[in-house]
Order: sequence, then structure tokens, then C-alpha cells
Amino acid sequence: MTEAPVPPTALREPAHQVSSKAPLLWAVGAAFGFLVLAAGMVAVHLLWFELPVWAWPVLAVVAISYVAVMPIVRYRVHRWESTDSAVFTQTGWLSRERRIAPMSRVQTVDYQQTAVGRLFGLASVTVTTASAAGPIRIDAIDRPVAERLVEDLTRRAEAEQGDAT
Amino acid sequence: MSDAHPERPADEVPPAPDGPAPTTEVEWRRLDQRMLLVNPVQELIRFFPLVIGALVVGRSGDSNFWQLLGIAIPVAIGIVRFWITRFRITTTQVELKRSLIGTTVLTARLDRVRAVELTSSPIHRILGLAKVEIGTGSKGSEEKFALDALAIPEARELRVALLHRAAVEGAPAATELPPAYDEATGVPAPPVPAEDEVLMRLDPGWVRYAPLTSSGSVIAAGVLAVLGQVVEQLGESLFDEEDVLRLVLEVSVAVLIPVAIVVFLVLGAVFSVLGYFVTNWGYLLTRDARGRSLHVRRGLLTTTETSLERERFRGLEVREPLGLRLAGAARLKAVVTGISSGESGSTQLVPPAPRKVVDRVGADLLGYSAPLVVPLRQHGPAARTRRWTRALMGASVVPAAAAVVCWLTGLSWWAVVATLVVYPAAAALATDRYRRLGHELTAEHLVVRSGSLGGERAILQRTGIIGWNIQQSWFQRRRGLATLVATTAAGDQAYAAIDIPEDQAVALADEAVPGLLTPFVAGEQLTSAS
Repeated sequence: MTEAPVPPTALREPAHQVSSKAPLLWAVGAAFGFLVLAAGMVAVHLLWFELPVWAWPVLAVVAISYVAVMPIVRYRVHRWESTDSAVFTQTGWLSRERRIAPMSRVQTVDYQQTAVGRLFGLASVTVTTASAAGPIRIDAIDRPVAERLVEDLTRRAEAEQGDAT
Repeated sequence: MSDAHPERPADEVPPAPDGPAPTTEVEWRRLDQRMLLVNPVQELIRFFPLVIGALVVGRSGDSNFWQLLGIAIPVAIGIVRFWITRFRITTTQVELKRSLIGTTVLTARLDRVRAVELTSSPIHRILGLAKVEIGTGSKGSEEKFALDALAIPEARELRVALLHRAAVEGAPAATELPPAYDEATGVPAPPVPAEDEVLMRLDPGWVRYAPLTSSGSVIAAGVLAVLGQVVEQLGESLFDEEDVLRLVLEVSVAVLIPVAIVVFLVLGAVFSVLGYFVTNWGYLLTRDARGRSLHVRRGLLTTTETSLERERFRGLEVREPLGLRLAGAARLKAVVTGISSGESGSTQLVPPAPRKVVDRVGADLLGYSAPLVVPLRQHGPAARTRRWTRALMGASVVPAAAAVVCWLTGLSWWAVVATLVVYPAAAALATDRYRRLGHELTAEHLVVRSGSLGGERAILQRTGIIGWNIQQSWFQRRRGLATLVATTAAGDQAYAAIDIPEDQAVALADEAVPGLLTPFVAGEQLTSAS
């Protein structure tokens, strides 16, 4: 083992934030989830048994605070960066995960846009490697940015040789 | 240790030679003719309930018609199966075709072949046949690519042809490590082998480790369940029920439960011993003369020969569940690209055996012993605290649940006191789990270890790491810990150093795969930005 003079002890954050419209997208998604839950509860209430009165205000408080807080925290955390040699992302809101994959091991680059994403002009890019544990997803970035990123990644990955395993 | 560019071995079968691809179509071949005997028997076994049914129906009638039909149909299916199945090996792929009314063609690219397994059931063995299963590492296909069956010599030749195509074509074979037996592994440098080199042979005495694995009790539970069913069905005619009842009532519960446990344990031990012999009898681990592949041969009734390509070899897993570890034993598995560890035993290299044997074989395969024996770096006090918190929190569920039950049912509170024994157990578990946490870098490998009850020391080739995930839960972040996951295309796909201090995680990742993290290191931003 060769001792590096000063071994690095921390990583900086990836360079780019996701789109500023991302919190809105996440909030809409979360709100929709709570609407489905509320609808389910109403169905239970009407068809099977009566839910206690306090269930409704509790649901409202949880829903509103989650929809308000989660997207803001998440927006601060989610970042991404793509260099000539690697892709680097940071995701999560309570927990954090950083993923790094070298360009030489990139196998596929996928571009996705959901229906809600199209509404906001947002898309996501997924980079996969030969490992089932390795996909890197960059969520909720502006569509032109995503398209350029896909182009860049494809070009860089092609420039590398080997079978990426 | 071996020439990286071996010449073509003399005993090889198609695919066709190194020259340009032949312009004529490669002919379709049939499987071995002896399958005309095997197939009908297998079909008869598969249709066994129906055949019995037909015999019973036939007996009640006047003619033998149903009896004949019950046997004729499976036999006919078996024969038809033989006639409709053909295969061929072209220069680029191996194809299997079944055509009766519709046609099914399975195709596997030769350069994607990752493992070849030869299996012979007892009936195959009597006739000198072997089924050839070809693993390409694809998960999408429903059907296994299997040639069932060929004559054993032919099957072995086919295996050589399938596995060593790359080497045959002159492509660079696996880079062989020089054998460095500098450390006290007790292994003399082997002479250049003329044929397959034997790395390990089963010592029947190792069966003593079998009861320490969980496999026996699983079989025992299954057998007991079946026995229970049978007794329930036949019980009335065999025993006088009142006798049994009286016997059970006379014996107190305090005796009955320990006896039941002992019976279960003894049965478990017996079955695990039997299971060990059935699966591992004649276990032989060999390496191809040129070091291109590993072969595992084993089995008492059904024999299996698994071959793994050296080029796709990315490391080792030393599996040491608690029972084996206490007895100084372990199992060894290979980490191979395209074959996930979950697949049934196909990557096992050494069955439960003394740790010394596992270390010797491992060192032999890696070329040096350090990854197996080097003391690991521990993860520090924060990781220890986390092990304790988690164990104690988990254990607290038991007394809490007991308290709720007592409160609801009015059971004696002594029951809750009795459940407090989980705490010493949790403490022991936490201590052991912390002791087991560790990581280290050796010349070519990343070594990570974790787990107490199902412990594992994973040894991953550093060049096989194809990415890093640094995960931090909210609790981990408060303590400055992280879980560093090395992703790879082989084995479990991900190997983790759990609860490692944040700064060490980054340092370790950077050292294991130099350069990958460099552009993202804090403080480097100013100098590297251009």
C-alpha cells in the first residue's frame, strides 16, 4: 500500500442543483399521494367502519407539513455533476446518498419524462452500470439540461473502451 | 503461472477453428441417442401420479387399455422430445431448437458464456451422460439453456470449447498473478501441472461441520411436517388413539418440550450430515492447466460439475455463520461477473471446511494470502455505539410485547421478567457484531467484513469496482458515520463497509480506486476547476 501524502477525507457537493421547479414537482407528487390516501380513508369511513374524528385533522397536519417541508429540504440536498471521467450525484432528504460512477463503466443512459414532469418542463436522466446496485438517477432537471446531459454522457461513455464490467 | 496465450488444445471440438467463419451452415445435431432411454423414464416419473391413477382405473376395468395408455403416453412424449430437439454450435453462438408444430430456438452468444455446469442424475450416470447447462448471466430469459444430455466426454469437450473460446482465438486471457507464497500459508509453490491442478479435495471428516449449518434443521422441519401429515392420515389404523393421548397427558410439559427440542436437533443434525454427503460427496476443486477456469465436481447421487471462467473472477466471499465460526470453519464462494451469489450454490468453491483450508484455497486463487488473513481496521466507537443501540432497541420489543400481553390477559408479571434474558443475548450480539465490522485494502483487493449470525468476509478485486455509493441515514449523519458501498458487476453486485467514519470512507474509496474521486474531493475545487 502506498500512503498518499494527504488522504482526502471529505467530498465536496456536486456542482449543479436540480431545476428550481423541482420542489413544485415533488410537492405536487406528495400532495397527490396524500389525496389518494385521503380518498381511501373516506372510502373506509363510508363503507366499513367509522374512523375517529381526530384522524382527519391529524392527516391534514401531516400532509401539509410534509408537502411544505420535504420539497424544500430535498431541493437543498439534491445535486449532480458530470465530468469527463465520472458522474456524481447526491440525493435524499432525511437520509443522504452520494453515488459516483466512472464514465468507463457506464452502460446505458436513459432519459425519462413523466406526465407531470412534462407539465413543468422537467425530465430525469438515469445512468446505469453493469452492477444491479449502481444506477444513478438525476431527477427533476430542466428538459434542455437533461437533453444536453444525455448527449454528453453518451458521447463520453462511447469514448471509453472495454466491456464495462 | 501459465501462458496467457495458449495454443489450441488437441482435444477440442467445434466451434470451428481459428480461420474465417465457414460459409456453409453448421449442421444441426441431435442430443445423445441414449436419451431415448432417459427421456421416457423421466416422463414416467413426472407423470407418476397419473400413471398410478391409470393403473388403478385399469385394474377395475376388464381390459389393459388404460394401463397401457398410462405408460404409452409418457414414453411417447419422451421419444418425441428427443426427435424434436436439435442443437448446433456456430462460430459465434450456440443454438438449441425444438420444433414440433411451433419452433423454439434458444440462442446464447459464445462470448457471453460465463459458466458451464454438467449435471448427471443417477440414470444419466448409469448411461454415461451429462446435462450441459450454459449460464450467460442474462436474467430476462425464462428458460435455462440446457443440452440434456450428451455423452460425458463430449460434454466435457463442449465445456472446454465454450469456456475457452477467447483464449483459443488469441485474445488475452485472464492476467495471472504470480504465485507469491511468501507468507506462512503452508503451501509449497506448485510444480507446473500437466493437467488439471487439484486445489482441494473433500475430507469426509468435515462432515462434523454440517450440523452447524442451518440446512439440516430446514430439512428436519420439512420431514417432520410430512411425517405429521402421514401420521394424521394413517394414525387411526396404526395406533390406538387413546393410548397415545394417555401417554402424552401423563408426561408433563416440562419434559415434553425439551424432548421435542432434542429430537428436532438430533433429526436436524442427522439430516444435515446426510445432506452434506449427498451434495458434497467426492467434492473436488480443480484449476484448468492453463489457469483459465475453475471446476467444482461434487455429488453422491446426482453429480454436478461447475466450471467458472477465470477471466470473470472478481473475488471471494468467505461465509462464516456463527456456528461454523465457533468451530473454526467457513465456506468459500467465488465472486463471478454475471452470476449472482443467490443462485443455487453454483459459485461455491469450498463447502463447510476448516478455516485453514479455506484460507489456503483462497490464497491459491488470489495469488497471495493477505486478503484472507490480514487483520482488519475497526470502525471505531461511534460504530460500536450504533451496534449497541440497535441491538438493545431491537431486544426491547420482546419485553414490551410481553408486558402488553400480560396487561391484556392478566398473566403473571414474572413472564415479563423472564423475557429480560434477551438483554444479555443482545449485548453479546452487539459486542460480536462490532468486533466483526472491519475493512482493509490489500495490494489488489478491498476486504470488508460484517455480520455476526451470518457473517461474511468479502474480498473484491479493486479493478472490479465500478462505482461507489456513500449512504448516510439520519442517525448515521448525527454520528459522523457512513456506509460505503462498492458496486460491481459480480456476485452480490454491492459490497458494503458498514458504519465507517465519514472521513475514512472517502479516504478508503479514494485509495481503493485511485483517481475516481479526485475531481470531487473537498478543497480540490479551486485547483481543479478550469
